[in-house]
Amino acid sequence: MRRNWWRWLLLMVMIAVIFVPSVAWMHRRVAKYKTVYRTPLNPTILIPGSSASQNRFDELITELRKETKVVHSVLKVKVAENGQLSYTGSIRKGDNQPFIVIAFDNNHDGYSNINKQAAWLNIAFKDLVKTYHFNHFSALGHSNGGLIWTLFLEKYFAQTSRVDIDRLMTIATPYNMESASTTKRTDMLNELVKYREKLPAKLTVYSVAGTENYSSDGTVPANSVNQGKYVFQNHVAHYTQITVTGDQTTHSDLPQNKQIVLLIRQYLLQESIPAKDRAKQTVNRRALNGDPDLP
Amino acid sequence: MGLQRGLKGLWRLNQRTSQWRAVWAIKEALRVAYPFILVMTIIDFVGQSFLAGSGFFFQIYHVGTWLPGLETWRELFQAVSTVVNGVVAVMIAFITGHYLARTYRSDAIAVGVMSALAFLTLNVNYQALGQTDRGGDQLTQFVEGNLGPQGIFLAIVVGLTVGWAGSRLMQALRKLQLRHPKWQLSWTGRVAWPLALVLLITTGLGYGLSWVSAGGLNGLVYQGLSALVTNPGHRGLMILGVTALNNILWWLGLIGPVSLAGNSSVTSLQNLAYAVQHGSGWGAPNPITLHTLGDAYANFGGAGMTLALIIAIWIGSRQTSYRRVANQTFLPNLVNLNEPTLLGLPLLFNPILLIPFVLAPAVNIVVAWFALTWKLVPPIVYPVPRTTPGPLIAYLGTGGDWRALVLSVICLILSVLIYLPFVRLLNDQGGDRDAA
Repeated sequence: MRRNWWRWLLLMVMIAVIFVPSVAWMHRRVAKYKTVYRTPLNPTILIPGSSASQNRFDELITELRKETKVVHSVLKVKVAENGQLSYTGSIRKGDNQPFIVIAFDNNHDGYSNINKQAAWLNIAFKDLVKTYHFNHFSALGHSNGGLIWTLFLEKYFAQTSRVDIDRLMTIATPYNMESASTTKRTDMLNELVKYREKLPAKLTVYSVAGTENYSSDGTVPANSVNQGKYVFQNHVAHYTQITVTGDQTTHSDLPQNKQIVLLIRQYLLQESIPAKDRAKQTVNRRALNGDPDLP
Repeated sequence: MGLQRGLKGLWRLNQRTSQWRAVWAIKEALRVAYPFILVMTIIDFVGQSFLAGSGFFFQIYHVGTWLPGLETWRELFQAVSTVVNGVVAVMIAFITGHYLARTYRSDAIAVGVMSALAFLTLNVNYQALGQTDRGGDQLTQFVEGNLGPQGIFLAIVVGLTVGWAGSRLMQALRKLQLRHPKWQLSWTGRVAWPLALVLLITTGLGYGLSWVSAGGLNGLVYQGLSALVTNPGHRGLMILGVTALNNILWWLGLIGPVSLAGNSSVTSLQNLAYAVQHGSGWGAPNPITLHTLGDAYANFGGAGMTLALIIAIWIGSRQTSYRRVANQTFLPNLVNLNEPTLLGLPLLFNPILLIPFVLAPAVNIVVAWFALTWKLVPPIVYPVPRTTPGPLIAYLGTGGDWRALVLSVICLILSVLIYLPFVRLLNDQGGDRDAA
């Protein structure tokens, strides 16, 4: 009987020595997974500018697909004025870097409309997260699409906890609307500046401007794009401004401009671009407070 | 009683096979190899579970934060482990050949060395032979992985074949000498000629195989099995079949085609992503996989639920050697390193223990399958270290679901009950050659 008693004691000690610390370890691990775990699914969400439909980026995506080794799937979401979502396309199983295009039924320009579109984006975004279980993504906005993204990040993004945005690239986004002035701020810029503290601190932003001449891309004044620094600089981790000149630099051509396609691949999708492609780049890049480690 | 008659038949089979000289030679080889494997495994136990960054005890006790000179410790344990681990199969080839030659009353040491050399020629890295010394990344001379535990099966086959052929050749030469007294052949000649012949054949064989597979004969077998085994899909029956096949292969000494590696498969990552967002594994997209069934509930102690075997021995065995092996190998079994148990009892090539070795994991998989499909337990979703004690894998992998712990305990008890009659059956075996 005495021997048995020892065995039970040994069992108890073993349980105490192994079980208790392992449970503590497990809780820490699970908590850590919930905070730092990044899902393999890492979509790139694209928003077109005003007056453009969910098919706006078809040309860009064809261009991207042509040059990337892996073919990525495309999902398109259209948000009606009452917040109803209609999906076309799908995310292929096993494709971890799909493209998602979000467009709006009411796609008109204007301060109040863009604010509404940011709210609609919030509805679509929440639904996407709920359906596809990703917890980080990258964003691309063309023209006013960049404004919608910025408003969304400032006003609504905090509602979706546990999801991080890695990178945002805006192409010819007029942060000061149509104004070419460097001193007078429009309502839009005032609002963006007012809430800039709410921007995700770890975000990396690339703002790409195209210029046909020294002052604009034909639609958006270069000065309006430049005003983005008052929104992002020192409020996100990295803010980099890039100006593309040359062929195909009118406002509507920019998303399929060869240089910009390369920039999207290199910065937003973080592909390693072959040296021969990189050599083609003749952009005038101006890093404001960029990461020295970035290529 | 049918069961009793079955057990009796099994017992007779066991008695008959243990009289075969091949089986005797294998058992002797495993008996001699056991202490070496035991030492190696205890070193691995410390190295893999306490010192390695992915080790279970390393993580739960935060060894990295308080042990000074961690890197030095790691390197020391690595060094010892490499030495023993690296040549265990060569040792077994030698001993098997040696003991078989003894039964033929041949020159046992010479034949043993012959077997070891023959085994090595089958595992020469033929791709490395052409390279001249240009510095840089040199290929190793031998396919090193095959000289460790995963080469045991091939070592036994080579040991038996060369042991037999070598002994016969040497005997033939001796007879020839008696018939032609003028034609004298020294001891050297009697060893050298068979050795030359054996090496010629095995080198040819090894070279020929190197065209087919880079890992030698062993590599070929493992490639075939891994392809079959790595992706059993979602179907329960397929998983059951693959696990059973895997366990039979372990029993033969083909150690390791499937291991607790399912942490990183696509289905496991999908489950993890789901759990991270929903807070638990309930409703995860892939509830039935080799990982959620086999790794979680049918792998306590390693392949074949050997942790249950050890408990069954503690409860029901009167064999001193068995009890000793159980005591000595309990700690390694706790972290799923069961090679010494397999070699020490020995379980390898033991027809009586083969049945529970295959049956216990199979029953556990079926039980776990029902529990998962009836949604009594959630699937394991969080990765756990390879060296996590078996009964805790499911509990920790589900993020602390007590039902998973209960199921683990049920699986452990079931397996002990499955092992127990077979362990009792072995009580009647003559304990003349105590292993430990």
